[in-house]
Amino acid sequence: MKLTPVFVIAEKIDQFTDKLGRSCAWLSLLMVLVTLTIVVFRYVFQMGSIALQESIMYINALVFTLGAAYTLKEQGHVRVDIFYSKFSPRAKAVVDIVGVCLFLFLTLGFIAVSSWDYVAVSWRIRESSTEASGLPFVYLLKSTIFLLVGLLALQGVSELIKSVRVLVASDK
Amino acid sequence: MPLLLFFMICLVLMAGYPVALSLAGVSLIFAGIGSLAGGFDSAFISLIPNRVYGILVNQNLYAVPLFVFMGTMLEKSKIADELLSNMAVVFRGFPGGLGLSVVIVGMLLAASTGIVGATVVTMGILSLPTMLKAGYKPSLATGTLCATGTLGQIIPPSICLVLLGEVMSNAYQQSQLNSGNFSPDFVSIGDLFAGAIIPGLILVVAYALYILAVAILRPMDAPAATEVELEATEASVIVALFKGLLPPVFLMVAVLGSILGGLATPTEAASVGAFGALLLALVRGALSIKVLHEVSLETMRVTSMVYLILVGATIFSSVFRGFGGDELVESVLLNLPGGVFTATFIVMLLIFLLGFILDFIEITFMIVPLVGPILLSMGVDPVWLGIMIAVNLQTSFLTPPFGFSLFYLRSVAPKEVLTSDIYRGAIPFVVIQLLVLCLLALQPNIVTWLPNLLKG
Repeated sequence: MKLTPVFVIAEKIDQFTDKLGRSCAWLSLLMVLVTLTIVVFRYVFQMGSIALQESIMYINALVFTLGAAYTLKEQGHVRVDIFYSKFSPRAKAVVDIVGVCLFLFLTLGFIAVSSWDYVAVSWRIRESSTEASGLPFVYLLKSTIFLLVGLLALQGVSELIKSVRVLVASDK
Repeated sequence: MPLLLFFMICLVLMAGYPVALSLAGVSLIFAGIGSLAGGFDSAFISLIPNRVYGILVNQNLYAVPLFVFMGTMLEKSKIADELLSNMAVVFRGFPGGLGLSVVIVGMLLAASTGIVGATVVTMGILSLPTMLKAGYKPSLATGTLCATGTLGQIIPPSICLVLLGEVMSNAYQQSQLNSGNFSPDFVSIGDLFAGAIIPGLILVVAYALYILAVAILRPMDAPAATEVELEATEASVIVALFKGLLPPVFLMVAVLGSILGGLATPTEAASVGAFGALLLALVRGALSIKVLHEVSLETMRVTSMVYLILVGATIFSSVFRGFGGDELVESVLLNLPGGVFTATFIVMLLIFLLGFILDFIEITFMIVPLVGPILLSMGVDPVWLGIMIAVNLQTSFLTPPFGFSLFYLRSVAPKEVLTSDIYRGAIPFVVIQLLVLCLLALQPNIVTWLPNLLKG
């Protein structure tokens, strides 16, 4: 099939999401190791570090916010597929087009708009942990919400293009 | 309006767009209409950013990626394959030996992975061909596999119970604050784990007894292995069995024991478990950079899936509340004739039916926060309610024609196995489930005894 420039965009987005997801997957291993370190320090050396403890919060947030778009691309977000699995490729494409436009973009748009002030306030005061020895990056942690929104929206565009392609191809 | 929202969502979900986004999208559209037409309190919606951030930093949920990592790692280390074949040889003399091995290995696998789909698929691929080849009646084989697969959510440490425990503990605090108790009791994920152990074991024993009964009464349905199939000598197999059995069992007991004994939080125990699984894979020579990357990727996938549903469900429940839906649910449940019993029964029925279209995670996040505080304020025990919901959903996932477990098995079963075999095979196990559910309803002590004992 001849790829028009729009389809190339989808391909590029997919490649980007894939690369990002595959590299960031290591964060889940990191999370295991950091949590384990905390446990070892606590039970073996009777030592605890609030900063290290809080770092799990950041890693965990990144696993989700960086991973959601990859999961979308890999069809990893659960669907109720009693009927969907029996649909023709064309019907699936229609569901996905409506879903992306109506639900995905709407939800992400809403989260972005409604979170703007919430995160902006945090940036203005350079919000820090409520614990004295905690990590002073709460404003960055809150900003991961936009990471989630941005990456998911980008992958949403790609999913939209791919579904439209299925639709167009089945017309011919 | 709140009811319309709820039904609309159920309807839209059927179309098959990812649940998390459908939940959020439909709710937001309703919120938009509601703010224009009136009757919607948008104060609820303005809290959403704070609640999304709250999800990101919720410490109780850290256990999720860690348990997923542990489960996936154990699965990749192929420990179940070996266990199953060794166990089948040892149990060969027994009537229904192969079926019993499947139940026991399934229980261990369920305890380690805690995801219904994964357990059913793994067990289906591993043992369905073996069982059929050994002459098992297809319906008995598939029923055993489907039922065993659903054990993943009830046998701790299960991800479902982690999520349910988190939601239930919020609901419990909520219900006590509502009734003016400002120094509320707590219920923890550990309590739910403790409460699940005995009912989980009862189910395993009941499954095993059923298979044994079939094997004795109708030997041709579950034939004992013939000598021809056996090659290895018994002694070496028993050694291999123990070698294969001990490490994962030790891992389970260590993880569960440290949580129940109050030594470690579920998150801490899960990290030790995850690392233990990694070491186990290393010792077995199944660990490579590639496997490590696959496990990490899978962990990321499942984690983002769970978290996105949580975000979607949060948006749904904010909008649902904005329309006064929680008051509606409360007034309905409180005004039922028959009080607590009817209220609990109706909720259980609703959850059972929703189990046909929604997975455990969605139901936990959508329904339990709405009905939980009300039932708990009526005096229902939180741990008991949690376990009842878990067993109930397990039953739902097993019930033809919509049960999830049946679909998963269908997807890996060979064509010669008819879908009607799968349906027919599930029915005796559904009956077992319902009996156990009744037993727990009549004797709540079975659930609450162990958690209370551990609390002292």
